[in-house]
Amino acid sequence: MPPLFIRLRIMAYSHFGYGQRFAVQLGRNWVVLFLVILVVLFSFTGRGFFSPKTLNNILLTSSPALLLAAGETFVIITGGIDLSVGFVRGLISVISAIIMRDLYARGYSPSFCIPLGIVVGLALGLLPGLINGILVARFRVPPFIATLGMYGVANGFALRFSKGFPITFLPPEVGQIGNGFFAYFLPGRGLSFFARHADIVEGEMRNLIGIVPYAIVVVAVLLLIFAFILSRTQFGQHVYAIGGNIDAARRAGIPVERDLIRVYMISSFFAALSGVMYTLIFSIGTHTQFSASLELFAIAAVVIGGASLMGGKGSIGGTTLGVLVLALLEIGFLMSGILPFYRYIAVGTILIFAVVIDQTFPEIIYE
Amino acid sequence: MKRFVVFLLVSVLVVGLMSGVTLAQGKKPKIAWCPAIDDPFYYMIGKGIADKCKELGLELFVAEYPKAWGPEVQVPILEAVAARGDIDVIITGPTSKEALIAPLKRIHDSGIEIITVDTYIGDGDYSKPSEYSFPLTFIGTDNFQGGVEVAHHLAEMIGKKGKVFIETTNPDVSSVVERVEGFKKGMSEYPDIEIVGVEYNLDVQEKAQQQVAAALQANPDIVGIFGTNLYSAQGAYQAVVNAGLTGAVKIASWDATEDLIKALKEGKVDLVLAQKPYEIGTLAVEAAYQYFVEGKEVPKRMVPGFFFFTRDNVNDPESQKYIYRAD
Repeated sequence: MPPLFIRLRIMAYSHFGYGQRFAVQLGRNWVVLFLVILVVLFSFTGRGFFSPKTLNNILLTSSPALLLAAGETFVIITGGIDLSVGFVRGLISVISAIIMRDLYARGYSPSFCIPLGIVVGLALGLLPGLINGILVARFRVPPFIATLGMYGVANGFALRFSKGFPITFLPPEVGQIGNGFFAYFLPGRGLSFFARHADIVEGEMRNLIGIVPYAIVVVAVLLLIFAFILSRTQFGQHVYAIGGNIDAARRAGIPVERDLIRVYMISSFFAALSGVMYTLIFSIGTHTQFSASLELFAIAAVVIGGASLMGGKGSIGGTTLGVLVLALLEIGFLMSGILPFYRYIAVGTILIFAVVIDQTFPEIIYE
Repeated sequence: MKRFVVFLLVSVLVVGLMSGVTLAQGKKPKIAWCPAIDDPFYYMIGKGIADKCKELGLELFVAEYPKAWGPEVQVPILEAVAARGDIDVIITGPTSKEALIAPLKRIHDSGIEIITVDTYIGDGDYSKPSEYSFPLTFIGTDNFQGGVEVAHHLAEMIGKKGKVFIETTNPDVSSVVERVEGFKKGMSEYPDIEIVGVEYNLDVQEKAQQQVAAALQANPDIVGIFGTNLYSAQGAYQAVVNAGLTGAVKIASWDATEDLIKALKEGKVDLVLAQKPYEIGTLAVEAAYQYFVEGKEVPKRMVPGFFFFTRDNVNDPESQKYIYRAD
């Protein structure tokens, strides 16, 4: 049984004529259309843009942002907001890096300290979400305030542990895990699995294409699982119901407190995973700088992906598209040789555009 | 009798004060070092100060190394040091160009000379009379000049021709902006070198990686990248590796922190500019010594040079002193 709001949409939709249906479809899927337009446009303006390397670049470097945005999607669907994700990511990156560094320095093998750093980091990453969830669900603290508090707390701890400096001197294997590919393709030489072609010469390196980075597989699998949870499970329906109308959800017997706590824990779990991945990819643990505004970009991606800050709407698929749009703008503008400042303007404009479209089309649906 | 005692006391006091005043000329100053933050760079300045004080036989008081950067942390420390009453010179790195003018002025008016190191107040020009021109001198690095010198060194490494790219953090932070401007100026002297872009990663390393990867794809013949800090340089490195261009693209970076030196040894960056914090410290003490003991005028601004690390010299014993270390 699809979630309540989808059923509503189907009911309204069946009364429309073809023209209206087309407009609604276009409105609902404008992000896809926009994405296609951007790809076509940048293929003309950006030198070397249309290439599997661009796809790899986008997928690899936007996977941390994708994780933050995926967690944020759950929170936003409940009508909440999680401002702490960026700094939780930094905190967990620092903690996991410190564990790996200190154990490695004491002579433990990398096969022990790297998994331990990952596991402890992910486990501790649930804590900020648990606290956020309890504050929001039990103590009725507005999500904006609860997570703004956690934003400061997480950043403070991250700075306390790192003293404001990157954590380096990790086991060398860390970077190999974070940057590995399942397969490499060299034109004329064929595929090689798990490692580069053994006898590769320097001139050929330029043409080497890595296929499917480990990092992306992890992210893709997780996104599929959580997309399933959101759209196909009872818990997922509850998330939409809470966002649609929290009082109605309570009256309907939905365990709102428990589910809200879970939602905030999912959000901080994704943030923690993003932090651990940062450490693995860059072999460095670092706190999040204030100027990074990671949480704001995550929220922007979720909204561009069709969610509403009022709650009750959004999807993992939409959020993924939102993240891709932002990454595509970044890379496409750069490769077209346009000053970075115009990109800020473009991103801002599109964010507003997304909300305007969203305000326009659902009204047709719910009429 | 009572009057006589009072007279005696007063005259002793007056004579004492006068002799104190005359002694101040040519006496060895007592120096206070008030660091701006607890980091390896300031630690190195402190080391330079301590060693020079020992050499010249000057008394030194070291205030606490603050755990956070900012006037609200720094000003109470400065005021406490000034209130000790036995300090002649305070050496400090102001944590705000504006907010530190008034507190330092008050301390200066109470009879303590100020030397600013690493950072300055106002626009850093103490040679023209202004509300912030009271410090004895400013000793610190010139980011612009550093950028120029990075350009010259990188140009040498890439054979003075080809495309270069700049990966930096923020468009609104003066230190990195000056580094970028200096770099552009330096590169403008080489007609065969073209700067193909400047990008801002806001200190997010995966952004740096993404941007450099895109730049490398649009311009596969990039031969040099200037990453203005650790995050920018390492993000650039990751992109270069993924593009299979290790060794073909030279990466320059700024500040000889231990992690960047490690990156240099591992081949992730090829050139690291080191400021000379130790020299900043020794120059500050020398300035105080010249002013108090020798009664000489002190230049209002002193800039110690730079040291450049490459893989050829990074293991030399005489290079080691330029690595910022907090031990």
